[in-house]
Amino acid sequence: MPGKKGKKKKEITEEAKRNRRLLILIVIFLLIASVLIGRIFYIQFIWGEDLSKEAYIQQNSGMIISPVRGDIYDRNGRELAVSVAVDNVTVSPRTIKNNSMDAGIIAKELAQLLGFETEAILLKLVRDSEFEIIAKKTDRQIGDAVRNWVKENNIEGVYVDEDTERFYPNNNLAAHVIGFTGGDNQGLFGIEATMETYLKGIPGKVINEVDKDGNALPFSETTEIAADNGKSLVLTIDANIQYIAEQALLKAIEDNDVARGGCAIVADPTTGEILAMVSKPDFNLNEPRAILPGYKTDEWSGYSKADTELLSKTVWKNMAVSYTYEPGSTFKAFVASMALENNVIKLTDIIDDYPIEVQEAEIKCWRTPPHGVETFLEAIYNSCNPVFVKVAQMLGITRFYEYVEMFGFMEKTGINLPGEEVGFFHKEPMEIDMAVASFGQRFIITPMQIVSAYNTIANGGYLMEPMIVKEVLDDNGNLVERFLPEVVRQVISEKTSKTMAEVLEGVVSEGTGKNAFVPGYRIAGKTGTSETTEDDRYIASFCGFAPADNPILTVLVILDDPRGESHFGGVIAAPVVGTIIEQSLEYLQLPRKGDEEYIERETVVPDVIGYSLEEAVNELKTGKLEYIIEGSETGDDLTVVYQYPLAGKIVVEKSVVVLYKYMPEEMVTLEMPYLINKTLGEAKRTLNSIGLNIRSNGGGTCISQEYYQGTVLKKGSVVEVSFRYLDNVD
Amino acid sequence: MEKTRKKKPFNFLIFSFTLILIALGIVMVFSASTPAAKNQFDNIYHYLHQQLIAFGVGLAAMLAASYVNYNVYKKIAWFIFGGALLLLVLVLIPGVGTVYNNARRWITIGAFDLQPSEIYKFAIIVLFSKLLSDEKMQNRKFWKGYIIYIGILLISAGLLISEPHLSGTIIVVSIGMVLLFAGATKIWHILVTVVPGVAGLGLVAYYFEYMRIRVITWMDPFAYAQGDGYQVVQSLYAIGSGGLLGKGAGKSMQKFLYIPEPQNDFIFAILAEELGFIGVIVVISLFVMLMYQGIKVAKNSSDKFAGLMATGISALIFIQAALNIAVVTGSVPPTGISLPFFSAGGTGLVMFMGEIGILLNISRYAGKGYKK
Repeated sequence: MPGKKGKKKKEITEEAKRNRRLLILIVIFLLIASVLIGRIFYIQFIWGEDLSKEAYIQQNSGMIISPVRGDIYDRNGRELAVSVAVDNVTVSPRTIKNNSMDAGIIAKELAQLLGFETEAILLKLVRDSEFEIIAKKTDRQIGDAVRNWVKENNIEGVYVDEDTERFYPNNNLAAHVIGFTGGDNQGLFGIEATMETYLKGIPGKVINEVDKDGNALPFSETTEIAADNGKSLVLTIDANIQYIAEQALLKAIEDNDVARGGCAIVADPTTGEILAMVSKPDFNLNEPRAILPGYKTDEWSGYSKADTELLSKTVWKNMAVSYTYEPGSTFKAFVASMALENNVIKLTDIIDDYPIEVQEAEIKCWRTPPHGVETFLEAIYNSCNPVFVKVAQMLGITRFYEYVEMFGFMEKTGINLPGEEVGFFHKEPMEIDMAVASFGQRFIITPMQIVSAYNTIANGGYLMEPMIVKEVLDDNGNLVERFLPEVVRQVISEKTSKTMAEVLEGVVSEGTGKNAFVPGYRIAGKTGTSETTEDDRYIASFCGFAPADNPILTVLVILDDPRGESHFGGVIAAPVVGTIIEQSLEYLQLPRKGDEEYIERETVVPDVIGYSLEEAVNELKTGKLEYIIEGSETGDDLTVVYQYPLAGKIVVEKSVVVLYKYMPEEMVTLEMPYLINKTLGEAKRTLNSIGLNIRSNGGGTCISQEYYQGTVLKKGSVVEVSFRYLDNVD
Repeated sequence: MEKTRKKKPFNFLIFSFTLILIALGIVMVFSASTPAAKNQFDNIYHYLHQQLIAFGVGLAAMLAASYVNYNVYKKIAWFIFGGALLLLVLVLIPGVGTVYNNARRWITIGAFDLQPSEIYKFAIIVLFSKLLSDEKMQNRKFWKGYIIYIGILLISAGLLISEPHLSGTIIVVSIGMVLLFAGATKIWHILVTVVPGVAGLGLVAYYFEYMRIRVITWMDPFAYAQGDGYQVVQSLYAIGSGGLLGKGAGKSMQKFLYIPEPQNDFIFAILAEELGFIGVIVVISLFVMLMYQGIKVAKNSSDKFAGLMATGISALIFIQAALNIAVVTGSVPPTGISLPFFSAGGTGLVMFMGEIGILLNISRYAGKGYKK
């Protein structure tokens, strides 16, 4: 039948059509399968090495045991830098979401525990990510609180990991020496940076596989290689002397309106050990990137390139090693040493400081009129430039520069601190170059070089390599390594050294360094006032050592750009060195010797209230104190009812105590006299005669008094008065 | 009628391939889930137990379905579709549908989480097979015939996208198109819908933020390794560490919570890590052979409905497997999709095994001559 046949034909074509389409489907599916296999082949064999490496790192990254960074101590074991256990709090927003935890509640409770804003935390919790840092380096106490909260409430996705943070217990103290670390506890500055390999330690490993949360896997063998904790360092720094030097320098900067900061170095001349190194301005080691004064909070990050550069140029700059200047007259000590060492002149030889012409340049003494004919010794005391030019000429260019090099001015001192600069001298010096160099001008050096060279004069002639690290200790405090003083070379003989010590002592007792004088301690030193290329910018300095007969301290103080009444090193830097030496030697319990007449002995005012007048007077006399009696001439009341100064006040001997025979309704008062330009003796007499007491510092003429003239003071008050030698103080 | 026909044994290859895949799947679920199970339930067997129970139920469903004459589905096609559609609407209602990972895809009945989209995939196979084999619907013109299917697919896509369930949408639309193709629809009909459809998808990917992010992440997952690219990066680490022979069964490192829920969508990555390229070839080959046998059953089926049903079920399993592997290997933008027979999850395993049962039932009638 045609119909049936037609239908059959249609069936066949339809079946064939369907089969063709099914075949096409199979082909498409096979193609898809091939593409996927190809893709997996690519991932496993071509990309595989990289991927498995990264996977390995990830799977093993939790196995590192961080070493504890070593501590830094001062020479007496006082902590300067320590590692404190802290915690990092992190979250996995995905885990929190996947465990259907309420992000709002978690944020609120975390905020409460951490003391943060709830919104700030919530913002991170709702991100679609695996890992967000909530709090870095938070206190262990807070970290433990979060840990407990996570445990008690079965919180998923909030993690607390152990970490350590550097803490500097003394904030600004010795900031430039100690230095600080970065976010990963890596040393960035100071000893923290230069001794990084000692301090950081070696991370330990757990040879074991861990899951994403760092938990060891079941059935895996665990081999633990403990972390090798960082070594601790004992510095040569003495925190007490450092503090003394910082306070003295800070006061000098304030008193003299010093515009560009200053530095002070205290060293042990025999070993080259640095006992104190101060550079101002400084910074708090616990906040090294704190905003600098004069900058706006919103423009300051502390971490930007510009901010970091600015910090490096200002508060982070360690003037002691990273600053160069013309040393001025402090350099004359070396020229004198060379001259004596080479016998080109004797101290007693007669010479004069009249102007001298070198290559058509006239060199004059700093003082007008010049000192004239004098011995070489006197010329050193008076710091006469023409004399040093002549002495340098006697030595000759070759020998002069040979010694400059031997004193270490042509090379870095090698101190173990970052950023050490090296001075600059003329490459092929001519007569005029040497002439100006002989009094410390037209070349630059670092403060550290000056200290090293002064150590050489003080210690018998040996140039020592400056030391800042004394010992290396393991984490149990056992000695691992000790650094020993190293002699670089002998520069001058012991004899010359001894002579120079005496000469420089004379500079302080009789010459331009008088303001460094401290009764009972024999200080040797030399002043310096450097000119700079800028108008009216001077650099005042003084370098000295003490005791002159057996030096244990070398001290350098530099004040850059003082804008107060004087810019002379002898006036403003010398007394700072005097103070540092005096207080340091007192701290080191070195007894004062000689100079009895200079020493103002102190005494405590006794309590004489209620005593009979006679008893009170006797009591004061045994305390070597004077007295004035206030009260009516008549009457027989012989009992002391009041005294001023009150009992317990520390005053110098021969101070006046005012004794009242009646209870004063108002204390007897008087007006402060004018003392400026008076000598110490005159000032003392003036005050004592009207019933005031003096507390003096310095010598020479009065430069400042605690109260203005006319200030009303109680009778018997103690007034602080400062004296300085103002002539012959270059 | 069917009664007169003598019942043949079912296609043994399909049965075997399925059981091998499931056996491998259960081993992998156990291996991959131990860290997560230990972490969440303090019981490393948690997911293994669940999967074994699902396997028991699935095996019963498969065997039962292999005895139930496939024509039953044709008769109740509208009922099945209506029920599935109702569930798909219900799941969108807050309070009825359960939200997990930002998607409302589940209906919780007691301890059992029902995923309506899994049922809907089956329903669309049944409905399309019925309609395409229906003589009245056959050879219809574009507007009166073809456009109805497209309408149904668009409504389905709209509902699934609302959950949102992107992978479900892709699967349902693909299966629909495969059935239309196999059902001898005119090629130009398909082309005029597929071409604008793909173009539309491109526009959606461009204009919708969350789609665009997926595409950007897909292009360079490592740039977003801590964010949206995390899962794919971790998955690539796993596959990449596998090499030729793998690290050995149970020795995956990436399952230790690096890959979130390693027993679910990313189980194939753990498989590639533990069993290597060899294991990958074996598993993909099994899926290909299963697909081939299934389509062979379709080819030899006794009528058009049976053929379409067999095609649909084979295509569903293969497409879902291929899409899953594509996601896991970072070959397509990420979307949540499970690997048939492997990924842990009750509804999926039971549904797929039941569907294999239907395929087995159809295979009993193979070679009986073609019936329109």
